Amino acid sequence: MMKIVLKDLKLFFKDRKALLLTFLLPLVLATLFAFAFGGVGRNTNADKEYDLPVCDLDSSAASKMTILVLDSLKTLHIVPVQLSHAQNDIKKGNIDCVLILHKGFSDSLNIGNPLPVELQYDESKEMQIGMLQQSLIPTLSMLPYKNTEHIPIMMKNMFGKMMGKRHNETEGKVNQQFDELYQSIGEGIEANPNANQNIGFSMNAQITMTKLVSSVDDNTPGLVQAIGGVAVMMLLFSVTGVGTGLLDEKQEGTLKKLLYSPIRPNQILFGKMLSANMISIAQLTVMFCYASFAFGLKISNHWPSLLLMIIGTAFACSAFGVFVASIAQSRQQAQSLSTLIILIVSAIGGSMIPIFFMPAIMQKIAVISPNYWAMQGFFDIFWRNLYITDSTFLTRVAVLLFIGIVLNLIALYFFKKNIVEHVS
Amino acid sequence: MISVQNLRKEYNGKEVLKGVSFEIKEGEFFGLLGPNGAGKTTTISILSTILSPDSGSVTIAGLDVRKQAQKCKSLIGIVPQEIALYKEMSAFDNLMFWGSLYNLNRNTLKTKIFETLHLFGLADRMHDNIKEYSGGMMRRVNIASALLHNPKVLIMDEPTVGVDPQSRNLIFEVVEKLHHEGLTILYTTHYMEEAERLCERLAIIDNGEIITQGVKEELKKSVPMNELIKISINNLNNEVFEKLASYWPHLKQEEETLLFSVNDSQKELAKVISKCNELNLEVKQIDIQKINLEMVFLHLTGKQLRD
Repeated sequence: MMKIVLKDLKLFFKDRKALLLTFLLPLVLATLFAFAFGGVGRNTNADKEYDLPVCDLDSSAASKMTILVLDSLKTLHIVPVQLSHAQNDIKKGNIDCVLILHKGFSDSLNIGNPLPVELQYDESKEMQIGMLQQSLIPTLSMLPYKNTEHIPIMMKNMFGKMMGKRHNETEGKVNQQFDELYQSIGEGIEANPNANQNIGFSMNAQITMTKLVSSVDDNTPGLVQAIGGVAVMMLLFSVTGVGTGLLDEKQEGTLKKLLYSPIRPNQILFGKMLSANMISIAQLTVMFCYASFAFGLKISNHWPSLLLMIIGTAFACSAFGVFVASIAQSRQQAQSLSTLIILIVSAIGGSMIPIFFMPAIMQKIAVISPNYWAMQGFFDIFWRNLYITDSTFLTRVAVLLFIGIVLNLIALYFFKKNIVEHVS
Repeated sequence: MISVQNLRKEYNGKEVLKGVSFEIKEGEFFGLLGPNGAGKTTTISILSTILSPDSGSVTIAGLDVRKQAQKCKSLIGIVPQEIALYKEMSAFDNLMFWGSLYNLNRNTLKTKIFETLHLFGLADRMHDNIKEYSGGMMRRVNIASALLHNPKVLIMDEPTVGVDPQSRNLIFEVVEKLHHEGLTILYTTHYMEEAERLCERLAIIDNGEIITQGVKEELKKSVPMNELIKISINNLNNEVFEKLASYWPHLKQEEETLLFSVNDSQKELAKVISKCNELNLEVKQIDIQKINLEMVFLHLTGKQLRD
């Protein structure tokens, strides 16, 4: 019996593919999911901060103070923005939301009226927005400083944070500014005793929530995420199969026979690329048509942009298939390598889990994944309703085409080096 | 038709072709005979333009294969050693594909496919998938695919490896017919019987060198002996071999077999057996062969073709 065990172990450890899939792949995926769900990589203060775009339309001392208070929170980093720019960025999916302190903020604060605070956001980011609200509401509730015991804590927090960024000499000035600001707010409240009675802990903490981006044709972000994510990941698997057909041809001698014929080596590779593209376009088209019939994804209003995004995605993914085939020495090697790469780029690119679950660093790394650009493109089409002429949408298509061109050029180089020369 | 001059090629520091030269006339059936690893396939890869030699030159119908590769490719049909066909496609579809690479008119190609499949006895199964064919049938389609564009030269690299006797005979008949119709053929093999049957002129290659070449009968005459006596012995050792070699200077040994090159086997056989008895050798088997290409190879290299 032990002889059989030893023989099996010997064979197993000789099989690199099995080793890769048994040990390395689970480790890589576990690491990625730990980053996404397990809080790994979120130990530093910098990682905890959420970049909150804020537009101060009131420009009063009170509104500026509020912004400073918000910025003092460990979970937030305030980014001052212009309203029109921020709204445009939300529509294009570049940012999740913008917090607007409207005109009259200071007056409302002084007289105890509900604060004119609005959060404009992208409905597809509801999960992030929910978490953001949890940070904003308690803070805004403290502003009328009825609960004066919170003020020193707020000041201490903010001061501590500022001291981390500024020179010690500013300490006195900052303290003085705090005193003046709170004194003026206090005077306003004393001048209006009726308002003071209305101040409850949460009364003024209402934030007007406005969906700036939501689907006009009932496509839900979850559906777009599911269809887009699965479509791109499965496409990568299927085009790898098409690409590795090159290695089969090498092994079976048909590639050598093709080289005997008057067609040139480049034409053989371009032929493979073209067929992989055509299969990819067909696969994505079928996938979205199926999603339309089975799940009600509204595609009829988006055909031109969807077609363009399908072409871009197909080009990048099929280039990946040919690329893997050109760098691998055998079909088995190509399959192991492609499985590893596909699962990684799919995980970091948002095919498996939404990008916003991941820490900031992972979201930055996501841009190397074709899945990321394709997913963003599909959100542009079905969620953000961007037109085919929109620069943001076209940029995503251009990035996919660029990825495709780069991978194809690398594939061409390695095809000549690894395949044609070896066949000869 | 084909001129190969002083070809040299090195792989990973090992010289696999060491100045190979030969000429093939138009309409000639030329054999390149040699054991596995002798350099036959490397020579063919250079002739077929997919491999560049380190030095030397090859011309086909006056065209330099390095400078005018595309034109050369149209002139030659190559039958590779592997069965290079798409197994999931039918014979007809395979031939349509391979023929289309030579830009043949679709109708002309179809006609040519029907003719060729008929020639190889496969017309009735042309629409069956290749994977349903026997090895011999696949080999026939493999050869057929090299003939569709009416090449001036047919290069065949060990085309009968693993083929059943029936298919082998059919292939020989077709190839001989093509030769009689004027096709120039370069045929590589390590099967001496094939070269004996098919080739008019031969070059024998070993370790990347042409060790002899010429008309088949002349090559045989170049060997001083007429016959070969092969005796398999159980208790053969170096001492015994040395003793026997002192009587027969051309004696060769291959494992348990002694090879006596003689002029008259009837006279020599009695002497050989007598000597074996004298040395208490246990004779297992005796075989006598007339002069053939294998003896030529043995005479020139000291080893058998199938080593």
